[in-house]
Amino acid sequence: MEYRKIIEKLEEAALHPSKTVTNTIKSTGKSAIGCFPIYTPEEIIYAAGYVPVGMWGGTTTLQLADKYLQSFCCSIMRSNMEYGMKGAYNMLEAVILPTFCDTLKCICENWKVGVPNIPIIPIVYPQNRTLECGYVYMLDEFKRVKVEIERLSGKKIEEKDIEAAFDIYEEYRVTMREFVEIVADYPQIIKTKSRHLIIKAGQFLDKGEYTKDIKAIIDGLKVEEKQTFKGTKIIATGLMSEPVELLEIFDENQIAIVGDDLAQESRQWRTVTRDDEVDVWNKMTSRVADQRGDTFFYEYMKSRGENLIDMVKEKSADGIVVFMMKFCDPEEYDYPIYKKEVEAAGIPMLYLEIDQQITSYEQLRTRIQSFSEMLISREA
Amino acid sequence: MEQKILTSKELLNDLVDKHYEGALRAKAEGKPVVWATSICPQELLETMDLVTVYPENHAAAIGAKKEALKFIEHAEGMGYSSDICSYARVNMGYVDLKHSDELNIPMPDLIFCCSNICNTVIKWYENLAKELNIPLIMFDMPFNHTYEVPEHSVKYMRGQIEYAIEQLEIFTNKKFDYDKFGEVMERSNRTCEWWKKATDWAKVIPSPLNGFDMFNYMAMIVCMRGNADGERLFKLWHDELEQKAKLGKGPWNSADEEYRVMWDGIACWPHLSTTFKTLKKYGINMVTSTYPESWNVRYEKNDLDGMARAYASNYANRNLDYDTENVVKLIQDFKLDGIVYHSNRSCKLMDFRQYEVQRRVTEITSCPSVVFDGDQTDPRSFSAAQYETRIQALLEMMEKNKEAKRRG
Amino acid sequence: MYLGIDIGSSSSKAVILNEDNEIVGISVKNLGTGTKAYKEVITDVMQQANIEDKDIKYTVVTGYGRITFEDADKQITEITCHATGVGYYLDDVRTIVDIGGQDSKVIKLNEKGQVENFVMNEKCAAGTGRFLEVMARVLGCGLDELSNLATKATKQVAISSVCTVFAESEVISRLSAGESIENVARGSHIAIAKRIMGMCNRVGYTPKVVMTGGVALNADMVQVLSTELGCEIEVLPNCQAIGALGAAILARRTYNKLEA
Repeated sequence: MEYRKIIEKLEEAALHPSKTVTNTIKSTGKSAIGCFPIYTPEEIIYAAGYVPVGMWGGTTTLQLADKYLQSFCCSIMRSNMEYGMKGAYNMLEAVILPTFCDTLKCICENWKVGVPNIPIIPIVYPQNRTLECGYVYMLDEFKRVKVEIERLSGKKIEEKDIEAAFDIYEEYRVTMREFVEIVADYPQIIKTKSRHLIIKAGQFLDKGEYTKDIKAIIDGLKVEEKQTFKGTKIIATGLMSEPVELLEIFDENQIAIVGDDLAQESRQWRTVTRDDEVDVWNKMTSRVADQRGDTFFYEYMKSRGENLIDMVKEKSADGIVVFMMKFCDPEEYDYPIYKKEVEAAGIPMLYLEIDQQITSYEQLRTRIQSFSEMLISREA
Repeated sequence: MEQKILTSKELLNDLVDKHYEGALRAKAEGKPVVWATSICPQELLETMDLVTVYPENHAAAIGAKKEALKFIEHAEGMGYSSDICSYARVNMGYVDLKHSDELNIPMPDLIFCCSNICNTVIKWYENLAKELNIPLIMFDMPFNHTYEVPEHSVKYMRGQIEYAIEQLEIFTNKKFDYDKFGEVMERSNRTCEWWKKATDWAKVIPSPLNGFDMFNYMAMIVCMRGNADGERLFKLWHDELEQKAKLGKGPWNSADEEYRVMWDGIACWPHLSTTFKTLKKYGINMVTSTYPESWNVRYEKNDLDGMARAYASNYANRNLDYDTENVVKLIQDFKLDGIVYHSNRSCKLMDFRQYEVQRRVTEITSCPSVVFDGDQTDPRSFSAAQYETRIQALLEMMEKNKEAKRRG
Repeated sequence: MYLGIDIGSSSSKAVILNEDNEIVGISVKNLGTGTKAYKEVITDVMQQANIEDKDIKYTVVTGYGRITFEDADKQITEITCHATGVGYYLDDVRTIVDIGGQDSKVIKLNEKGQVENFVMNEKCAAGTGRFLEVMARVLGCGLDELSNLATKATKQVAISSVCTVFAESEVISRLSAGESIENVARGSHIAIAKRIMGMCNRVGYTPKVVMTGGVALNADMVQVLSTELGCEIEVLPNCQAIGALGAAILARRTYNKLEA
């Protein structure tokens, strides 16, 4: 398939998660397990013969979820609860949920009652992941989840299965790192909205198949001529850059994302796996221990601000855009710290407060357009 | 001073002053100061003789003294969202302004954080360490999805205790004294026991305890579990309540206890008097909350696994089954007529389980309840009119039950 | 001749500049986007300048209604337009406070008068003109009467609720507790000033501070905010039309650049 056709296919897949997941189940002949954001051990799920699919909420009318959650709850979690309760996730065999924040802990508990037909497997990631005891705990948690999944499938997961699954995921991660690099060189071909949708599609497809598609896109781009970009280049940070209507405003204003620190995107794959680990469980565990600048992992002397500044320099970006998911505690705590560092470095930064149920884009449009006008007038 | 004639309330006030003045003096003398979370393994700090203050206590006091808004607004100016915990906003504002007209605390040299109360403190304390450029000891206590604390969790926490001891030895440049540690453990257990026994007197009808007093004593169970003053205070308080109970005295001199309720969640510190008076006006006494059990941290001396398990067992760190059971037990033990649920904008961990706990508890016990909107220290998220209306609604339900009981 | 139009959420404004950069037409109507008021202000300024459509060389539209307005050559945001409009009168402004009907903004300018940073209110009516409208309604007075009432206040009444719904009930209970309308009017100004102060801190404000927009006509509001910020606040002539003026200036600049 021509690479532009693949792009269209993936965009379409990302825009209709429910349909895509149903198709994936059909085409792979596998059952699906839902993965709450973020860092669920997809390799284990994959090794057990399931397709792991992402659960990142979506735009929906919130009615049922109000039974459990007040209005000041993160909209991704309200949406997930709503979808679960109204049966939109009924194609899933089970869901896995990491308790990275206070809200996720509660969602797990409420899910057990509110969505009793879909079993939930919680996983706790240690915050002291660099200490020996935390490392061991992480290993134990991965192995506990493995047992839970075996219980679900009634089949034992062999060591070689998990190794094979890890390899597929490792290839996915390496490919995605290359993809976001090369996309930065072709903002005219892959616009902001498209970049996001291509990446997001991976959440709902079999990673083995998906990686092949991404490789084809990379190959397709490589033969295209690089053009000078007259618009504005930015680094995106936050959980996710949705709703997509927002990215349309970016594209209207010729703003390109040339690098990201988004939980739904690069944070998933940017940590390079240690090459001195032989055992697959240690490879997985060390990936957790090595993650830096991530809002969901405790890190003494937080390096997020520094990372953002480095990314701006490395990509010669004009500024940073913060996609602040309203009511996300961890992200909201990080902001004042990196704000100070980024401002001290003289880097312009735009703060956008977002949620999944945005009904009016007018103020956001004004902010985005003003930011772009501000950057252009500065250059002049 | 003749200590015998001191009432527990006077002793409490003396100790509060002593606590803060002592900390400020220590800092002035060049001694290191620790900032710690409210239900952390303070035994380690006490063993090392480290002067410790508790930002949660400080923020609550600032809130009750109606000075919180100044710090909150300052923190919001720094970029802190108005959606995050108001204790954190008061504290981060204080760190920047460094002065309060009402109550000052010394700046820390070490941060000591324990996540058994929420993951929010991880982010908050991580920021403190970064802003102040000082060391941090992090105790991560995984959330318990199972009813009991899992064994691999205990092992993880045990490892963290050992690591913390090493860190403290480096920080203080002295050896950790395990004999003293044993003594501190023993005393902490005794103090917690007195705290629990004292608050248990509220089971008597009428309750000799006015629950809003408990909110005041709470500050000291946070910061004095491990020292002799704390033990003395809670023993004295216990004895007074026992005395009152035996004389059949209720919570107030000016009114009788008509209804007994529990308060779910943290107090609304800036509106303490409004929330109290509205209840009292209708003869409603808040006799208990989830807090007596929160600081009933009990384990065998020198049992580090037991200590880890006890700290990890805090109700905020437990699953819905436990939470429900806990409240149902309180209703039975304290013969409650109703429950007031504080939907506290600051505390997502408590809020997002509250609706389900309320439903289950109602189903099991038929105990009437109301939810009201408020906040622990942000005065802007509370409406006296809404609170009063909700309390009246609760009153009507409780009256109906009482009436039905009278008729048999 | 250059036309600048500002279609806001609660008012419409237009300004015409001539080749000598002089204002030859200026008009403000207190009806905003979704109404036909923008047509009235355009007709109005054309009459003032005594010109016809064909005399307009370039038009820039700004404000909430800018996206749906089709007859302009270019649309530019109110942030850029306010910054530019302020520069018409003063060249040493470093902070602009604009309290609009549903959006408030604080704009930080560099020494060249360019936008360096800006913040807008979050999705909430606190700290916007809407809050004042609600307060005026509860107090039973016109929006334009708030200032006079508030200057007669005898003490500081805090309205602490952030949420407009809560604030409304707080005000009602204050009034029924016997608090004077004047004191409550002042209290509502203080409440807004506190929100704006938070935004000013976020952006890192420095003097000189000017206030634009309709709320700048409320002298007591300006005074209260000035006290809160601890520095003087200037109110420019035609403060409501600064956005439209900026649009007209940008129309002239853009046209000249295109010609050159």
